[in-house]
Amino acid sequence: MSVLSQLNVIQVSGLSKRVSTLEGSLTILSDINFSVKSGESIAIVGASGSGKSTLLSLLAGLDIASEGEIYLDGDALSTLDEEARARVRAEKVGFVFQSFMLVQSLTALENVMLPAELAGKQDAKAQALALLEKVGLSHRLEHYPSQLSGGEQQRVAIARAFIGSPKILFADEPSANLDSKNGHLIETLLFDLNKQNGTTLVLVTHDEQLAKQCQRIIHIEGGQLEKISKGVAVNVG
Amino acid sequence: MWVKLAFTLFSREFRRGELTIIFAAIALAVLTVFSLSSITERISLNIEQKSSDFIAADRRLSSNHAFEPELLENAKHHGLETAQMLFFDSMLFANEELVLGAVKATTQSYPLRGKITIKDSLIGQAYDVDSGPKSGSVWLSEGLFYSLGVKVGDEVELGAGVFLISKVLVSEPDAPFFSLSGNKRVLLNYDDISTTKAVQAGSRVFHRLLFAGTEQKITSYYAWLKPQLKNNQNWEGIKDRQSPLGDNLDRAERFLLLAGLFGIMLAAVAMAVSAKRYCERQYDPVAMMKTLGGSRTTIRNIFLLHLSLVTVFSIVAGLAIGFVLQHIGAGYLTQFMGTELPQSGFRPWLLSIFIGVVCALMFSLKPLLDLFDIPPLRVLRRNLGDTLALSRIHIVTSLMTIFVLMWIFSGEIVTTLILFGSTLLVIAILFGLSTLFFSAGRRLGLRPGSSWSLAIATLQKRANANAIQLISFALAIKLMLFLVVLKNDMITDWQMQIPENAPNMFIINIAEQEVTPLKEFFVDKGIIHEDFYPVFSGRVDAVNGEAFARRVSKQEGEEKDKDAREGVRREPNLTWLDKLPEGNEITEGQWFSNINASTNSSEDDEIEVSVFEGWKDALDLALGDTLTILVNEQKFKVKVTSFRSVNWGNLKPNFVMILSPNMAGKVPVTYFSAAKLQDRHTKDISQLLQRYPTISMIDIKSQIEQAQSIISQVTLAIGFVLSIVLVSGALVLVSQVQASLAERMQEVVILRTLGARGRLIKLATLYEFLLLGAISGLVAAMVCDIALLIIQQQLFNINGRLHPYIWLLGPASGAIFVASIGYLMVARTMRQNTQGLLRKLG
Repeated sequence: MSVLSQLNVIQVSGLSKRVSTLEGSLTILSDINFSVKSGESIAIVGASGSGKSTLLSLLAGLDIASEGEIYLDGDALSTLDEEARARVRAEKVGFVFQSFMLVQSLTALENVMLPAELAGKQDAKAQALALLEKVGLSHRLEHYPSQLSGGEQQRVAIARAFIGSPKILFADEPSANLDSKNGHLIETLLFDLNKQNGTTLVLVTHDEQLAKQCQRIIHIEGGQLEKISKGVAVNVG
Repeated sequence: MWVKLAFTLFSREFRRGELTIIFAAIALAVLTVFSLSSITERISLNIEQKSSDFIAADRRLSSNHAFEPELLENAKHHGLETAQMLFFDSMLFANEELVLGAVKATTQSYPLRGKITIKDSLIGQAYDVDSGPKSGSVWLSEGLFYSLGVKVGDEVELGAGVFLISKVLVSEPDAPFFSLSGNKRVLLNYDDISTTKAVQAGSRVFHRLLFAGTEQKITSYYAWLKPQLKNNQNWEGIKDRQSPLGDNLDRAERFLLLAGLFGIMLAAVAMAVSAKRYCERQYDPVAMMKTLGGSRTTIRNIFLLHLSLVTVFSIVAGLAIGFVLQHIGAGYLTQFMGTELPQSGFRPWLLSIFIGVVCALMFSLKPLLDLFDIPPLRVLRRNLGDTLALSRIHIVTSLMTIFVLMWIFSGEIVTTLILFGSTLLVIAILFGLSTLFFSAGRRLGLRPGSSWSLAIATLQKRANANAIQLISFALAIKLMLFLVVLKNDMITDWQMQIPENAPNMFIINIAEQEVTPLKEFFVDKGIIHEDFYPVFSGRVDAVNGEAFARRVSKQEGEEKDKDAREGVRREPNLTWLDKLPEGNEITEGQWFSNINASTNSSEDDEIEVSVFEGWKDALDLALGDTLTILVNEQKFKVKVTSFRSVNWGNLKPNFVMILSPNMAGKVPVTYFSAAKLQDRHTKDISQLLQRYPTISMIDIKSQIEQAQSIISQVTLAIGFVLSIVLVSGALVLVSQVQASLAERMQEVVILRTLGARGRLIKLATLYEFLLLGAISGLVAAMVCDIALLIIQQQLFNINGRLHPYIWLLGPASGAIFVASIGYLMVARTMRQNTQGLLRKLG
């Protein structure tokens, strides 16, 4: 492991992703290189089909690269099997998805507790209660996802993402499924919590305005890293 | 920590109804197996007990040689009740009259099963007793009273002994059904045999030992006895007899077995469908858990715990409901039949628990493995893992499991293969049909916006899911149709065996000169009667010149010596006939077509014989063999020209050997007939017997009544079983419709949002289910009819025939059944507003 990778919480080098199709091999990502410092917020932007969601899946260890390497807080993901990658996610990563991805049979409180319970942590409930308080849902603890509005469901998802104090938070189009008012609320909440917890935020979006709130913006085009630009947020790194 | 999470998830999933169908399917499999096997066992035990009355024991051992004393001692040692019997013919003498009587000497323990019916005088009331006459006295059948001119209280000489006639013998439980050994029956105490001095070395006697006890004790005793059985010893239970009961009992058991198999099959289909659906519903939560860092082990543990919990709960519920159901069923049967059903053993409990566990494990195994393999990436790519949904391995595993379960439950490979094969045929036909239908539908070009076009479009869109639905529906309808039709056929067949005017009295020993007056008597009194058959007794002495005794070999110890029938052994009653009797069918060779009436007979004519097919293998006979038959001291050579199947169940005079009509005039014969007598004929019959004292009558009324009572008991049981299978069938439909409910909700939302009127959606749904039901019903009817043909002929010995009505009944009942259940389930969804549905879809 290089010294550089120790400084960067995420380091991506020579990353490519190819998939087999009936017409032959299709390159989705090609030779991506960048790094993210601890506490930094970055946005990955690009048009639909540009490969930004694939990049997120590789960064989070949900998928494996065809070539290249990703260091996630010092762990080389290509050397880990699915179980080990799950362990890394459990210890270091939080997620927020466009479609909320709440477990329908669990209450808001239980959904937030879920990652901590899976990791076998004892104080899951206290942490979950505190987080739900922060996202303004302390009155909705025992409600099931189907009893919550879209905005409320995403707030539960955000609370869930921060339980266990992850080092890195991946967010995939977190406000895309919400109206502008709720979307704005969610974005504010996400950035606020991110700052409070000193988490590294990797945000995938096609929304330029949202991307600008991050410190850096990685532009993906046709599977290639087109450029890295600066956002408006203050660099905490 | 995962345990708490697993329990939380389980309780929520259970409350949300996600596990209901899995739970219901396992519970149904368990309750089907439990209630069916326990009620079948109880009915079967009861029927066997009742049937045991027919042989006055549970098992019996017969021989024309005396038994070694240790056979009896060992039986007692095994805890069995025993009785001894000896049959011999002896002269009776009273009032200067000398008559040959058929003596049955019995120990005091006789009968071990059933009752002896006697009267205190010829005109007295008949009543039942548990044992035979005391030493020093005899009971005579009515015929002997007339022949000897005696009354109760008189003395009679039997051989060298003098005995008091103490009762009129009306019937014994094991009185021969079709034996023509005579109605001059004497019941004697076993201890008095020596007094008669009628049994000497070389006397023609017949020995019999009777046994009664639990099946376990009998089996244990038989295990000891089997290696030492001799060629001339024949071990028999009720089912071994060529009697209408043996056949019917066998059929009833097979039917209940089939019904049980169908119940299991249906519950298994419901289980396979619902387990797959449940696992598919868990794809997103599992992908999410993996994304959040849940290890494969944790996820596996959570869902295996779910499976274990649902299995335990459903087995307990299945056993509880099954217990109550069989209790109610047994109570109802007890009340109706007036007999207490015996309790069943542990087998139903163990079998149903085993089947519940196997169902749960095998049908959810592949869906669970698929679930564990769901990649975490599904959280971003929502369709990832959906390709796993139609897994061939799941289908193959499920089919194999169903096959093994059926085999374990039935213990019969042939039945299982026929049923399973016909099921595979349904699947093959429906896959082909559904492919054709769904692709043809695309070209139909129905008017857009109509309910019909929407229904067809929906069917096409879910082609794969619909193919599976079609198969499940068709399977359920096929099995239900199958049972309904088989039940009707079986009951019709039984009723035909004992028709309204079935004879209830056999009349034997009719002298040639008595035939005409007897016929006139019957006409005069309006008594319905059968033909008069010439009968004579003959002994098969040799086959192709080889002495018969050496030729008959005991095969494998288990082989039933078919000629060792009641009172016949190798001396069957013979007849000659020019026409093949009703209920007989030539299985090999030809009936005596070239032999003319007996008037042209000459010494040179070759006499032919048609032999009951059961004797063919037992005596190793072939067409063209020459049998030497000894009649009195005369030897006749007869040629085997045909083998026949005989319906022993039709309660008509049946013969093992029928000779060609050119036998007439060569031997002295008596005649044999049967008649249906009413109570009002009793006096006439007494007069008749007084006028012709050599004629004997055998009353088979009680046997007919007993057979009818067993048939009605079995008919009731079949109805009970059928209702359980119908519930299983309904569950399959419910599980299938529920499996597609989420998708349907999505469609309703889309259609509603696009402004479709509720009536359009409702009608479309109704038409869709009507179509599905009708197609399933049609295929079900087709395959059902073919399978019925095979099953009826192979397993039930009923003449197989096609059932045109089910070709209409299948589609009609299928459409109504599927449409009503499907519509009811989906209607709930339709009542909700669009916003509510959207929320539910998450």
